[in-house]
Amino acid sequence: MIEPELSAPLDIHRAHVLPEWIDWNGHMNVGFYVVAFDKATDTLCQQLGIGWEYTRDKIGMTFVLEAHVTYDREVKEGDPLRIATQILDHDAKRLHFIHMMYHRTEGFLAATNELMLMNIDFETRRSAPWPDWAKARIDKIAPLHARLPRPRQAGRLIGIKKKS
Amino acid sequence: MLITLPYDMPDLVTRAPLDIHRSTVLPEWVDWNGHMNVAFYVTAFDQASGTFMRNMGLGRNYVDNKLGMTFVLETHVTYDREMRGGAPMRFATQLLERDAKRVHLFHEMYHEEQGYLAATNEVIVINIDYASRRSAPWPIQAAERLEAVWAEHKRLPRPAKAGRVMGLAKK
Repeated sequence: MIEPELSAPLDIHRAHVLPEWIDWNGHMNVGFYVVAFDKATDTLCQQLGIGWEYTRDKIGMTFVLEAHVTYDREVKEGDPLRIATQILDHDAKRLHFIHMMYHRTEGFLAATNELMLMNIDFETRRSAPWPDWAKARIDKIAPLHARLPRPRQAGRLIGIKKKS
Repeated sequence: MLITLPYDMPDLVTRAPLDIHRSTVLPEWVDWNGHMNVAFYVTAFDQASGTFMRNMGLGRNYVDNKLGMTFVLETHVTYDREMRGGAPMRFATQLLERDAKRVHLFHEMYHEEQGYLAATNEVIVINIDYASRRSAPWPIQAAERLEAVWAEHKRLPRPAKAGRVMGLAKK
């Protein structure tokens, strides 16, 4: 397992907008923002020792239960992305966190993705408590993230605001 | 400025919910967990939003004629059950709210044969002027069609999974 990164937020995931992520509106399609975010979730899981090897070795998997995305600004083909991740909450088998996607050179916020992730036992394909090593890492990292201010994009309710 | 659309409108479906969108889980949508990846649920739902927009008269023609586009502002997905490669999907779409340039939609995705609910998606879509790439009121015909759709959809009960705020319920 790799040595966990203790600085908060976790700010190590980098990517580029791929040509096949562009739609007929000439920008990254809504689905591919989530592809990009899901790869940042893989980076987080790797930190916790539950990355690709966790599934390859038939120990467990992680499933997303719920996701909320805010699309804040368009990004175009080739744009460099920086995704920072903040853990918001956790329990025995779930992890609640938010990703913030920035244009890496221009600095603007492009999108956010709030997620609820659950640990899954490989054999039963049902929810199960985090394995010991992941729990130890979550217990170490989460308090460091808890000191950060809560992003205003977290805990949003979708709706059209009425102007009265 | 309100624009008039220069192309023929499709037959309007006002039936509520709108239940005409069908699709299949593509092999490239499946991830290392052996099921449809989270992102491609959003892609599949986005195509269902596209069906709703087409019903308003805002399909591919709208973009190809360089009149306008529709952008998603925000989306919320609940992942209720896994879908495997090749699974047939049926969507039901309810219009929850609308204003001069936005719609608030609620999609349900079902496994078309087994009947179970696979996921839900609540989404805000906004109309965009092609030239300025900024938000703008719905074109005239689209606004008229939206009102006809709303007259039927507003009678539906609000779905239980709409309006969720994410969090861990404390025991």
